[in-house]
Amino acid sequence: MSQPSPSPSSTPFKFPTYHASYPPFFTLQPNTSTLTAQYRKWSRLIQRYCRHHRLYKLSLTSTIDSPLFKNTELKKRLSLQDARSVLEWMSRDEGGRRIEWVDQKGRVVDGRPREDTHDTCWVFWKRPEEWGDVIAAWVEETGQKGVVLTFYELVNGEGTRGEEFHGMDQELFRRALSTLVKRGKAQVFGGEGAEGTKFF
Amino acid sequence: MFFQPLDLTTALRPSLLPEEALLFVQDAVGLYEGKYKLPNHQNGHAYLTTHRVCYVDNLEPRKNSVAVELKTVDRYEFYVGFLKSSAKITLHPKAAKPSVTSSRNQSLISAQLAAPSPPRSSSTSPIHRGSSPFPNARSGTSTPRPSNATWVCTICSFSNPVPLNFDPATANSNMSLPPCLSCGIKPSFPHLLKAAISNAAGRRDSQSPNQAPQQPLLESHGQYDANSSSEYTRPSINDSSTPPAKSKFQCPRCTFLNHPSLLTCELCGAPLLFEESEAAVAIGESIGRPESPGPTMNGSNSGLDNDTECVKFSFRAGGEKIFYERLKGAMVQRKWLLQNAPPLPDSYQSSTSGQPNIVGPDGIIRPPTERERTVGIAALERQGLQLRKKNEAVIGSAFEDLDALMASAKEIIALAESFSKKSDDGSTETNQLIAESAKALDMVTTKDMLGSSAGSESLYLSEMSRNLAEYLTDDAKGILRKEGGIMSLVDLWAVFNRARGGVELISPMEFEKAARLWEKLKLPVRLRQFKNGLLVVQQADRTDDKTIAQLLAWLQELHHTPHSDNINWDYETFGRGVTAQETAQRFGWSVGVASEELEMAEEKGALCREEGVEGLRFWENWIVEMSDDDDVNDDGIDVEPVHTVEDMEQVQRNLEDMGLI
Repeated sequence: MSQPSPSPSSTPFKFPTYHASYPPFFTLQPNTSTLTAQYRKWSRLIQRYCRHHRLYKLSLTSTIDSPLFKNTELKKRLSLQDARSVLEWMSRDEGGRRIEWVDQKGRVVDGRPREDTHDTCWVFWKRPEEWGDVIAAWVEETGQKGVVLTFYELVNGEGTRGEEFHGMDQELFRRALSTLVKRGKAQVFGGEGAEGTKFF
Repeated sequence: MFFQPLDLTTALRPSLLPEEALLFVQDAVGLYEGKYKLPNHQNGHAYLTTHRVCYVDNLEPRKNSVAVELKTVDRYEFYVGFLKSSAKITLHPKAAKPSVTSSRNQSLISAQLAAPSPPRSSSTSPIHRGSSPFPNARSGTSTPRPSNATWVCTICSFSNPVPLNFDPATANSNMSLPPCLSCGIKPSFPHLLKAAISNAAGRRDSQSPNQAPQQPLLESHGQYDANSSSEYTRPSINDSSTPPAKSKFQCPRCTFLNHPSLLTCELCGAPLLFEESEAAVAIGESIGRPESPGPTMNGSNSGLDNDTECVKFSFRAGGEKIFYERLKGAMVQRKWLLQNAPPLPDSYQSSTSGQPNIVGPDGIIRPPTERERTVGIAALERQGLQLRKKNEAVIGSAFEDLDALMASAKEIIALAESFSKKSDDGSTETNQLIAESAKALDMVTTKDMLGSSAGSESLYLSEMSRNLAEYLTDDAKGILRKEGGIMSLVDLWAVFNRARGGVELISPMEFEKAARLWEKLKLPVRLRQFKNGLLVVQQADRTDDKTIAQLLAWLQELHHTPHSDNINWDYETFGRGVTAQETAQRFGWSVGVASEELEMAEEKGALCREEGVEGLRFWENWIVEMSDDDDVNDDGIDVEPVHTVEDMEQVQRNLEDMGLI
């Protein structure tokens, strides 16, 4: 579980060969079984890409021209519409709920994807509960059960440097902890900006 | 000996000899040899050609199909059918003489040598037939002489004695017949013969019921045949209503026993044939009839090598009348004699010079060698002029009327072919048209060639279906091969109708119906429907899997042959995409067919598509097949679907609701 966490863009992202030199990858297939395989490949690619670049949120309009969706070598790109349907697939159960659409104010939206509302999404290369597991495992490993830790300490502190969750999005971190609270593994207290947590 | 083995075409129709033409086809036909049904030959098609009468079995056409050459037929008889007995046409073989038999008929000769007595003499036939159920029928009784036979005068109904010197086996119509003793009118020969025979048969039956009335000549008389055969089987079919051995027929209305030759009941006037026609209709509806009046020969041999006295074609679904008429025509025309005959002498030959024209090897009718001593260009021009005139005359007279056309068909075809050869520099389309119209003269299935019975529509369709299959698989024409083994039904319809030369065109609806019959008739072509509704014609053995394999093999090839375009991807790994146009070019398909085949392959997951500015390209499907890059498979990324607790609970609830848990 302990992946090296390279700082964003320190090494160039290595695209898989099918992205690099297989043009049909950029056309969504009409055959359903092929399409499912294609969605899975795209899902994996997007998650890897986001992890590599430490992206927790993705804005379609701003990334559609990024190398993720556009291969200038091949002169191929995934159209905005197709990219949206890939993300939509990822948001569903069959896609493992790997993304979550949010509106400008950061509220979760659902329903049929629309151009105006469905532009930005969380990309869960780890879902909140998976993040929670990672954090809980780290706490256990370092023997800090029952110790009160501040959020800042956990996310930005020296002690977590090199951990996957170091420097992660505050909001996502909060959601990860809340899944632990729900499961009774942690307790959150304190006010806005100075929250602390205690693991059991 | 009488039966010849029959070669079938790919469409399970008799393969015709050169010059042979199909005259008539009738389905639901059974075959008799002598008086006995031939096993395995009871449900088939009868094909009448100018040279042969063929029987093609419906169930096992390759095994049980036989033909009778018309040139070995001496006489043929027609029997209209009676009660349960269907109409029949009887063919009698010629008394075999070695000089008559062609080299093909070796078996015939040997059979004759084995049985030296001529088949028509009454002491032969059934005895020599090992397969006959009555092995020792009438040995010794060479010619039964009916001493007290009588015939009933058709005019005054007086019963006259049959003259003692009247022997049914040897009598012929040239004999002088004694007039009626009461009114003095001479009886007709068949009438007298019938009377004599029925007397003889009656007596014989009363003597020994096991003896079969086997006398080859007797069977040439349909009316008698009806009586004897029905009387023969009645005991087994319906014992309670068995009439006395003397053949009489019960009137269906008043139960009066009528004389068999009466068409209406003597007592109440009810038509006696009524029942028979009803039976015929019933038979037409279901060809596989459960019982038939004729006994079945239970020997296993089909009579191919056997000495046969006569062959009967039983028409269970009608069509016998037209068949008979056409048979009559064919027997009169004796087309088989023309097989090696020289072409018709042409009538336009030079009123100017007395020389016969010479038909050149290329079919052009050449003028006789020049008599005039002109030389140089003038001579050439004259020659050319004469040639043109001659050809003009040939064509002109050919179109005078249809008969003339048929008569000069050979020449016209030769001309058309030579024209098409000559005009090589001309447009190829014209060439093709001419060539095809020439070929069209042997395209045969037309409506008037088929029986007009109840099932004629389906017979027409099935015959056309076979015709089409033959046309498609004919190697000489190579229609399918030219189109890369697949062509759209519409194209085929156009080509086929054009090949018919503008006559007897087929309506699209019937054409489609006929094409849909291929599968049912187990013909070597098949009709396939693409998912957008396009109908195409293919060889039956050409399946989707084969097509896909073909496409994939080609795409594999492309891994090693870089495209001329500047390619900026790793073509050795993924190959490249192909367009429908390229595919059409590669396999000789039409573009429509190619794109349909590609989409079919895509549907099956073998290919996938790339939509781009240059159009649609198809690629090998690496999306499904290829695993994700090896180095990233253990990257901790999860793309599997989630199953939430609510989901599982929902499933659990559903199962409980259904009572499964």
